[in-house]
Amino acid sequence: MSILQILDIGLAGLVLAVAAWTVFARDAFAAVVGFVAYGLLLSLVWVRLFAVDVALTEAAIGSGVTGVLLIGAAGRLRKLEASGGDDELPGASLRLFAAALCIFVTLVLAGVVLSLPDPGPTLAPEAARHLAETGLGNPITAVLLSYRSFDTMLEKVVLVLAVVGVWSLAADQYWGGAAGNPRGAEPDGTRALLAQVLPPLGILIGIHMVWVGADEPGGAFQGGAILAAMWMITMMAGLTEMPSIRSRLLRLVLVAGPAVFVAVGVAGVAFASGVFAYPTGFAKPLILFIEAFMTLSIAVTLPVLVAGPPKRLRQQ
Amino acid sequence: MNDFFLSAAGIILFTVAVGLVRVLSGPTNADRIMATQLLGTGGITSLLLVASATGVRGVDDVALGLALLAAFAAIAFVDNVAAPDSDTSKGDRTE
Repeated sequence: MSILQILDIGLAGLVLAVAAWTVFARDAFAAVVGFVAYGLLLSLVWVRLFAVDVALTEAAIGSGVTGVLLIGAAGRLRKLEASGGDDELPGASLRLFAAALCIFVTLVLAGVVLSLPDPGPTLAPEAARHLAETGLGNPITAVLLSYRSFDTMLEKVVLVLAVVGVWSLAADQYWGGAAGNPRGAEPDGTRALLAQVLPPLGILIGIHMVWVGADEPGGAFQGGAILAAMWMITMMAGLTEMPSIRSRLLRLVLVAGPAVFVAVGVAGVAFASGVFAYPTGFAKPLILFIEAFMTLSIAVTLPVLVAGPPKRLRQQ
Repeated sequence: MNDFFLSAAGIILFTVAVGLVRVLSGPTNADRIMATQLLGTGGITSLLLVASATGVRGVDDVALGLALLAAFAAIAFVDNVAAPDSDTSKGDRTE
């Protein structure tokens, strides 16, 4: 057995152990910390599977943004538990049923994976053969923004719909207000220092990831998620605050990505062979143009989703 | 050289795994946060070592992203532990 195999088995064992512990943890905060650690280990696994783009997304979404979302949820649940909501805990039979259902889904998934033909059906050679026509060097970006650009556009529209869904949970009196804590709630301390030191580096790395995404692992989603994390850091430290949901600029940035995507796609009717087709030779610049706006939209959408519905009226 | 890289990655991963005991057992939330930071640092190190031994491209960007997000997660944890009920108290005050 080679060293690499021992390493892989160790990594897989570690992932399974952390996953099991996250499921069985009694305390919600501890479970969230376990989940973030699990996401970090998973991105190591993706690199071992040579899927660096997936590793980047897992790092940004799996342990980054989802982690913050779950921490917020754990905080709210703790308040609920503290206010004596213990009798609202699901009963033993319901929990057993949920566990049985989860185990069943896992077994079915495992069965499907094990019954896949070897080698599995793949379009990878096709995708690689036409890569030159897109002018891109990263086949993942070519699939996402050229071969199946319509699907990717719809995914971005779903993000906007998610924001609409979250905002529609606002209480009547806070409509037009803002989510999150106001600026200057806790302006001093270590967090403020980190929130001033980290974002300049983070913004640089986020833009770098979008830019290299055309030819190397990276892209709008990964870069946008890093930028989103940087904005969230400054909000947590009280240096910036979430704008009012009435803000025209905020709404414009939220829809800019999908809107530009649709506009370029429809323009394909006049300038190329059809809807969501790119004119020959212009594919790469157009894809980078779309990705620039998509990055902006993602960088704003994720913090808006994490902040939740508006909870306070803005001071005029 | 590759075997050396891989062995080093294995040893680092092992120390991180030992550190994970702190994530699991605590006893305080601060211990858990510090252990995930150790996991972040150790994970990035073994990631870079394994990637250079197996010749995967673009892994340095994953390492950069993980480094940023590990610090981000630390702030988010501290935010939650330090002010667990900041949502309602501050929300009502500004009205």
